Amino acid sequence: MNFSSKLIEDAVMAFSKLPGIGKKSALRLVLHLMNQETVHTEQFSEAILKMRRNIKNCKNCHNVSDQDICNVCNDPHRDRSLLCVVESIRDVMAIEDTGQYRGLYHVLGGVISPIEGVGPDTLYIDQLIIRAQAEEVKEIIMAISPTIEGDTTIYYITKQLKDTNVGVTTIARGVAFGGELEYADELTLGRSIISRIPYGSR
Amino acid sequence: MILKKISLSNFKNYELEQLEFSSGVNCFVGKNGMGKTNLLDAIYYMCMCKSNFAVNDRNIVRKGEPFFRLEGAFLRNELNEKLVCKVIPGTKKTIELDDVPYAKILEHIGHYPIVMIIPDDTLLATEGSENRRRFMDMTLSQMDQDYLRHLMAYNRVLKQRNAALKAFAKQGNFQLGLINTYNQQLLEPAAYISEKRKHFCTGFEPVFAEVYKNVSGDAEQVEVNYKSHLLEEDFEDLLIQTMERDRILQRTTIGIHKDDLVFKIDEFALKKFASQGQLKSFVLSMKLAQYELLYLEKNIYPILLLDDIFDKLDGDRVRQVLELITNGKYGQTFISDTHPNRVQQILTELGIENKQLKIENGKAVLIENEEA
Repeated sequence: MNFSSKLIEDAVMAFSKLPGIGKKSALRLVLHLMNQETVHTEQFSEAILKMRRNIKNCKNCHNVSDQDICNVCNDPHRDRSLLCVVESIRDVMAIEDTGQYRGLYHVLGGVISPIEGVGPDTLYIDQLIIRAQAEEVKEIIMAISPTIEGDTTIYYITKQLKDTNVGVTTIARGVAFGGELEYADELTLGRSIISRIPYGSR
Repeated sequence: MILKKISLSNFKNYELEQLEFSSGVNCFVGKNGMGKTNLLDAIYYMCMCKSNFAVNDRNIVRKGEPFFRLEGAFLRNELNEKLVCKVIPGTKKTIELDDVPYAKILEHIGHYPIVMIIPDDTLLATEGSENRRRFMDMTLSQMDQDYLRHLMAYNRVLKQRNAALKAFAKQGNFQLGLINTYNQQLLEPAAYISEKRKHFCTGFEPVFAEVYKNVSGDAEQVEVNYKSHLLEEDFEDLLIQTMERDRILQRTTIGIHKDDLVFKIDEFALKKFASQGQLKSFVLSMKLAQYELLYLEKNIYPILLLDDIFDKLDGDRVRQVLELITNGKYGQTFISDTHPNRVQQILTELGIENKQLKIENGKAVLIENEEA
C-alpha cells in the first residue's frame, strides 16, 4: 500500500500489529479516526494507555484487576470455601458470564506442556497450593480443557494437594445443551453415560 | 468393497484424471516415474486419509498448485458411497462421506479397509522394530478406532514426558511429581494397546502360518511372538525402576513404543537365516495375512494394492502370486507393473476379470484386452 503521508503509514502499521487486523482494516480505522474530532482520538489513546499502565494481576487469584486484589476476591458475598482453577482470564470471564458460580478463582496462566516450554513452575501452581492450605477452602473445582495437557495439569495439582483436606472436583464433561445425541461424538457420549447423574439432581 | 471410480485433481503428477475400475483386478502398466504408484497412493489416501509414502501433504500437491482433491465412488455393503478428500496444505483437511464432512478424520479410518504391498515391505523382516509396530498399528487402527485413539494419546503423553526429561536435564533439576503424573497418564493407553497387540498376535499366527504355507509351498514351521516390556512386569513398576536411566538418557526407555514382533521359521530367527526368496515369501504372507484378518474382523473385503512387487520375479512366480490373490479369498485388487501385458495375459489365461490401464505422465489410457 502506498501512502502520501508518513503519519498515516505509521498509524496503519501500528494498528495492523493487532490480532485479526490486516492492513486494509487498519487503514479504515485510521481514516475513521482522522475524520473525527481530535478529542475522540485523545480519549481513545488515553483509555488504552491508562489501561496498559495501570492494569494489574490480582495478588490472590492472578485474575486481571485494577487494584492489588480483584473485585471477585474482595467481594464479601463470595463463597470462600470454593476455588475454581482455570487456565486463563478468559475462562474467568466465561464462567462469570454464566452467573452460576459464586466462589473464588485461581488463574494458572496456562497448562503444563514441556513441549512448549511450560513446566509446573512456570504456572501459578505453588500459589494455588498455598491458597488451598488456607482453612476456609473446602473444594477445588478444576475447570480446565479436557486435553492431554489439561489432564496432566489436573493430575499434577491433585497429587500436590494430597496432604491437604480439600476435595478436588472437575467440571462435568458431556453432551452439550441443545445438542442432539446422534450428533454427539462417541467419546463424549460414552463419558456422559459413564458419569450419568440422578435425574432431578440439578 | 469396490472402488468403482476415482477422480484426481492436482494429486502428485495428475492434473485432472477420472478413471473407472473393474471389480476384479486392475493393472496399471507403464514405465518408471509415470505415476503408477501415485495412483495406488491416491486410493490408499482415500482409505487412510494419508499417503503411504509422503509424510507431509505438501509433497502430494502437484507442483505450483494450492490444493489437491480426490473423489471416489465406492460400493460398500451393497450401498453406493461417495468419498471426497479436499486438502489445502497448511489448513485442516476435509474428508467427506456422501457430502457430510467427518468431525474427526480418525472416524474414517477402517471404513474402507485396505492393504498395500510394496517392495519396501522386506524392511518388516530386516529392519528395526518400528516397522513391525507400524504394521500392527496399521492393522489394529483399521479394526478399532479406540486403538487409534489410545495410540495417539499415548504418543502425545510420551512426547511431553520426553520433553520434560530434556527440560530437566537442561535446567539441572528434576521434578519427580511431573514424571509420576506422566507415568500415570501412560498406564491406561498402554494397557489397552498392549492387550490389543497381544490379542492381534494370537489371531495373526495361525492365519499367517496358513498363508505362508500357500505362498512358499514349504512345510516350514513358522512362529510369531509378541514381545513387550509390559508382558514381563507391571508397567508402573517398570517406569519407576527405569526412572534414573530415563533421567540420564533424557527419554523414556520403556513402554509399548519398544514393542516388537518376533518371527521364527523352523525355530530359527528370520532375520539371520532367511534367504532372499524366503524373505519375499515371508513379507508377502504377512501382508496377505493382514488382509485376511481385516476381512475376518470387518466382514468386508479390503482393497488390495500391489505396488511393483513383480519386479525381479520370473514368470512362474508372477503366475503363482496372481493365482493366489485371485483364489476367491481376496477382493478388488490394483496392481502396478512395468512389464506391459504380463499380468493381463496371465489373468486372462486364468479367466479372471481384469482391466489394464497404461499410465503415461499422469494420464491413463485403457488398453483393450486383445483376446476379449
